[in-house]
Amino acid sequence: MIQNPSLLGRRKKREIARTALLFSLPALFFIVVFIFYPIVNSFWISLHSWKGIEPTMKWAGLANWAKLIKDKSFFNALKNNLKIVILSLLIQMPIGMALATLLDATGKKMNAFKIAWFLPYLMSSVAIGYLFRYAFDPIFGIITPISKLFGGGAVDLLGSSTNALYTVISVICWQYTPFYMVYYLAGLSSIPTDLYEAAIIDGAKRRQYFFRIVIPLLFPTIRNACILSIVGSLKYFDLIFVMTEGGPFGSTELMATYMYKNAFQSMKMSYGSTIAMGMFFIITTVSILLLFVLTRKEKDA
Amino acid sequence: MKKVLAVLLTVTMVLGLLGSVAMAEDKIKITMWHIQDDDNAKVIYTDAAARFMADYPNVEVEVVDMQNDIYKDKIAIAMAAGELPDIFLSWSGGPMIEYATNGIILDLTAYMEEDNYKDKFLDAGIAQGTYDGKIWGIPGENVSAALFFYDKDFFAANGFEVPTTIAELETLADACLAIGVYPFALANLTKWTGSMYYMYLVARIGGGSAFDKAANQIDGGTFESEPFEMAGEYIQKWVKAGYFNDGFNSANEDDDIARWLLYNNQAAMYLMGNWAINTTADINPDFLDKMGVFAFPAYEGGTGDPDAVVGTVGDNFYHIAASCENPDMAFKFLQYTLDDTAIATRVAIGKIPPVKGVENMITDENLKQVLDVVSASSGVQLWYDQYLPSSVAQVHLETLQAMFGLAMTPAEADALLQEANTEALSE
Amino acid sequence: MMKKILFRTLIGILCVIWLVICVFPFLFMVITTFKTHTEMMSLGVFALPRTFHFDNYVTLIQSSRFLRYVLNSMTVVPISLLLILATSSMASYPLARLKYRFHGLNYSVILAGMAIPIHVTLIPVFLMTKRLGLYDSIWALVGPYVAFNIPLSVFILTGFMTGIPHYLEEAAEIDGCGRTRTFLSVILPLAIPGMATLSIYNSVIMWNEFSFALVLTQSEANRTLPMAMWDYKGRYTSNTPMIMTILTLSAIPMIVAFFIGQDKLIKGMIAGAVKG
Repeated sequence: MIQNPSLLGRRKKREIARTALLFSLPALFFIVVFIFYPIVNSFWISLHSWKGIEPTMKWAGLANWAKLIKDKSFFNALKNNLKIVILSLLIQMPIGMALATLLDATGKKMNAFKIAWFLPYLMSSVAIGYLFRYAFDPIFGIITPISKLFGGGAVDLLGSSTNALYTVISVICWQYTPFYMVYYLAGLSSIPTDLYEAAIIDGAKRRQYFFRIVIPLLFPTIRNACILSIVGSLKYFDLIFVMTEGGPFGSTELMATYMYKNAFQSMKMSYGSTIAMGMFFIITTVSILLLFVLTRKEKDA
Repeated sequence: MKKVLAVLLTVTMVLGLLGSVAMAEDKIKITMWHIQDDDNAKVIYTDAAARFMADYPNVEVEVVDMQNDIYKDKIAIAMAAGELPDIFLSWSGGPMIEYATNGIILDLTAYMEEDNYKDKFLDAGIAQGTYDGKIWGIPGENVSAALFFYDKDFFAANGFEVPTTIAELETLADACLAIGVYPFALANLTKWTGSMYYMYLVARIGGGSAFDKAANQIDGGTFESEPFEMAGEYIQKWVKAGYFNDGFNSANEDDDIARWLLYNNQAAMYLMGNWAINTTADINPDFLDKMGVFAFPAYEGGTGDPDAVVGTVGDNFYHIAASCENPDMAFKFLQYTLDDTAIATRVAIGKIPPVKGVENMITDENLKQVLDVVSASSGVQLWYDQYLPSSVAQVHLETLQAMFGLAMTPAEADALLQEANTEALSE
Repeated sequence: MMKKILFRTLIGILCVIWLVICVFPFLFMVITTFKTHTEMMSLGVFALPRTFHFDNYVTLIQSSRFLRYVLNSMTVVPISLLLILATSSMASYPLARLKYRFHGLNYSVILAGMAIPIHVTLIPVFLMTKRLGLYDSIWALVGPYVAFNIPLSVFILTGFMTGIPHYLEEAAEIDGCGRTRTFLSVILPLAIPGMATLSIYNSVIMWNEFSFALVLTQSEANRTLPMAMWDYKGRYTSNTPMIMTILTLSAIPMIVAFFIGQDKLIKGMIAGAVKG
């Protein structure tokens, strides 16, 4: 902080608060209109019974919420989301960091690689869904011929309830790792080169430099990347819907797809809103907790 | 920086307001949403609009076409927000009934009876658009039935004959397996495709009344009765015997996978609605000459109906929204979209409009056969996933897919379906 | 010495493997664009086409409808991006650099904004848009696009801004700069890697966004690029090669934008700014 806050006079504090508000105003305007209002609206709907057809809604109190707490399908979906959270963290973060470090160290020479490595992220989820649908098809795809080379039979990855989710997760990782590569690269580029030179002069080896200096400096970036990844994994919708529609047998059902199906396909709009609100509470709580816990850790370090 | 921001925001808002001000005129405005977005089908509506506006210069008609899946999302949102277009469609069945009972669409009986307009259409189509004695939707597009498609040359070359009973079908299937060909081509990620097998099996084993009674819970009908359970057992028997192509439960019907198995002679038979003819004309016209159809075989020993047909008489049913300010004009416009010119165009692009006398207009061999099958039947059973209320339809599709995947026994699936149906009916 | 060479080779091999993994699906997409709908399945989905038809590309480029979609996307995305960068950088500044009573609340609101599932907002936003008379116009998209990307952008940018050394700000203050001057001349330039990341991230999201595009536009003249593929998707079949062509053409501007923007991610920005 610029000055020790406890030494600031009350007027100065008010002035800072006012500045803060002023700077935040445009953003807050958008958020209140397009995000806040729909959240309140959605919560309101969750307290009613509504198919999405009738012009008027019937009051239902907390009935939908009671149903949600006991809903096995919802918790199954949540479990699937958690699998995505964990695997995404374990796969995307290290690979992204590795690629970023490499690109940072080699600079312009690896430009071609940088662009090629970024391609998966540029494709829309729909594009990726289409491509991999064909790729994984047991008859027309490429997995079966490869398995046949090794003496196996036809392999149906997306149709098996044990494998489908992991298959889709691998595609998700393929799609999002480049983003973390770029994110870490941006973080690494704010570490001045003199630091590296100073470390070498002090006799540090590359590995020591990386683990003892870079990682701690990057801790906020890593922490934020993790939060982004977790929030994204909990909210996830696009690719799953295009590739499996939540099947087979709910093995790839996520909270977002479950919500969509209830709201738009089963004419259970109010229950769909409840699921959405449930998602919202879970994600907000998790991210706030994580942020404050990890920030405290960082301060201790 | 702040100035630029302010300017941008103002510009955006002003543009928006200008747009809305421009539309303050005195004409009657009618909007219609439809899903015939193919280039050769769109014109039916734009032409009808042009003809209508020429005759009624004080009315402005806006016809919006969109793709099928997009329509489903948009209409759901428009409905929830209370901003429906004046004319829109449904596929009849459960959803249409929901719209009717919730006062979203208008009762069209009076309009239809004027000048006996309803007599123009096939009785079965009108019946499908009727609920509680009132007509709610006009059957507007196509008569579709599900039939088996096969390659005539392929059958001839292998000495296969069109099966007339289910037993013969199974023998044929075994013969296919013996020569390394999948008997049935199926892409069941989309779920409704597998439903066709199920619906026919139920109809053949238990007759049309079995479903009717179970869905409406009359006469002690229930989904846990024998025809449903036996249908499920047949399906699982066929899955275990390998009659369906590998990975059928994760193949998407949109990806052409099932179709191409048929075209490439990797599969022998393809159970699909007659729009498959149009699709084939589109993506593989060479196959059309070889393509033949046959009806789902009969079940020997059942109380079922060997002639029952699963499909729809009308496909898209057009409704007038209750919020429409000028229903008279809207109905008149609808009549223009179904006048003789429009009907002729529909026939020309390969559809079977649900009007009386259509059999004299159709020239295509396969379509004629479809019509024969439909006429010979005692009635057309609407696809289950259209007929049932949406929430029940979803349960049906998902439990059926689970059954196909051998993840659920027929008994379990039937129980879940029965439960969902009871719940929906009690609301 | 041997160890170093072995290590380098290993890294090299891994790089190439990852390259192949990243590029191969893209390559498949491009190869498919050269086939006709019939050819795609009859030849084999992954086989090379017999002749390279450019018909799909020709059809699209000659389609005024398609070009309209491109134009619309090219209007909405840059404008929205500018608004996002402006509002997010302004909102990140207090979060990153100032201490005030409602700081925690402010941050929590941002995090909550990130947590909202988009489908929930479709109906209220649709209704709002209709009431404002903005329905079926591309301007209807700007508001939602900006609003939905602000929380994440603020979150990312705050992270980057926090890392800026304090002495730079203090120097500016000693020089007599007010908050705004400090923000504009010191903080913003140093946050460029963050802004570059944001630009890339937001551009890709908005360029491929279809939920709001689907709901808030209607007529062909007002649709954006992601809607283009629905023109080639029938009720029961999709003209996959055509769709792949659309997707390939859609990806090209993004690749170009990344090519230009990724320059800003290179180290050395800080060094330059400090000296200057």
